[in-house]
Amino acid sequence: MGLLIRNLCCLPGVGPKSAQRMAFHLLQRDRDGAKQLADVLLQATDKIGYCQLCRTLTDEDVCDICIQPARDKSVLCVVESPADVWVVDQATVFKGLYFVLHGRLSPLDGIGPDEIGLDLLRRRFSEGEIKEIILATNSTVEGEATAYFIAEVAKKHNIQASRIAHGVPMGGELEFIDSGTLSHAFSGRREMV
Amino acid sequence: MNDSLVQLQPAFILRHRKYRESSLILDVLTRDFGIVSILARGVRKSKSKTAGVLLAFTALKMSYIGKHELKILTHVEIDENAVKLTGISLYCGFYINELVGYFLHKNDPHPEVFAEYQQCLALMAQTQDTEQILRFFELNLIEYIGYGFQLSLDVKTESIVQSAGKYFCDCESGMLSSAKGYVSGKTLLALEARKPLDKKELYEAKRLMRCIIDFHLQGRHLKSRAVLAKIIKQM
Repeated sequence: MGLLIRNLCCLPGVGPKSAQRMAFHLLQRDRDGAKQLADVLLQATDKIGYCQLCRTLTDEDVCDICIQPARDKSVLCVVESPADVWVVDQATVFKGLYFVLHGRLSPLDGIGPDEIGLDLLRRRFSEGEIKEIILATNSTVEGEATAYFIAEVAKKHNIQASRIAHGVPMGGELEFIDSGTLSHAFSGRREMV
Repeated sequence: MNDSLVQLQPAFILRHRKYRESSLILDVLTRDFGIVSILARGVRKSKSKTAGVLLAFTALKMSYIGKHELKILTHVEIDENAVKLTGISLYCGFYINELVGYFLHKNDPHPEVFAEYQQCLALMAQTQDTEQILRFFELNLIEYIGYGFQLSLDVKTESIVQSAGKYFCDCESGMLSSAKGYVSGKTLLALEARKPLDKKELYEAKRLMRCIIDFHLQGRHLKSRAVLAKIIKQM
């Protein structure tokens, strides 16, 4: 029992108390559900790997997004994690393809170009199909460093690179926005009319 | 008097680590208290007001509290004269952060290093040609923390180095003249006087500083140096 509780704690947002509740629930009320969960987890860890084209998580060789013929193959959106692919795909009208870095350049942690799948990205650039990339890495110093680096690599392949905008959130009132975001919003202002 | 509260201390974030679900542990270079570890609670939540402020290479003013080694962040604001690093300067910024993190001890105040760091960032924000700025920063850093020695003195003959001579560096004693030396006297004199260096001198200075830094790192490796080399090669 203790072992089960400790292992459930590996999930994000689950501490000992929640883990205890989950363990008791599964064992007392829902043993079938527990077995099913165990099976599915096993299958998932066995079968789900990275897409050969975009490195997102998938149980096929090539993921659902890359395989869709209707997608615009000339635009590539570069993101840090598979969760970002999901978020961007749900929230925007973006109809191009994705590329997942599984991290960001972080010189202080020794994470360089090799660790974020740059070989594969460069190979895709040289295939010539991609005309534009959108750099949707996080708005942190490391995310910025990563975006700049990939933009430079893209430039060598004559691919246009753009960075997603940062600034005032929708419905946001200026009064309540932190100074860092606000100064970014000003430096990235856009011409009207 | 509450000695555990520090208010609006000028500071730069050197590095950050994720802590639990929504917090960050920051290693911060402060002006009056040296390097301090500060816990910033809840800054990785979507509604966080400070996440946009807590960025490396930005001059900040931080208030924090705590009697133990790990302090708790209570307030942070951006100092007026913020600089923005881009491109190569940004990557070099990571390098100097790692360097400062290695060479300064926790809670050991070095206001002069803080000033030097601030000036270095300001200079790097204006140019992508960072070599000379970095060399002078390294040299000043090593001097301020007490590892410095006179570059223009040949310790073998106890005389000033000759401009045309060749020298090599014995990190424990100083510069020694040698036919096989890799640094010219001219470079040493220019470095000592912090005068502008040409391309060849910059190369020699880089080798020299690398030797001195590696000696003081005592076998530890600068991760950012290896990554930087790869980045610059591929760009």
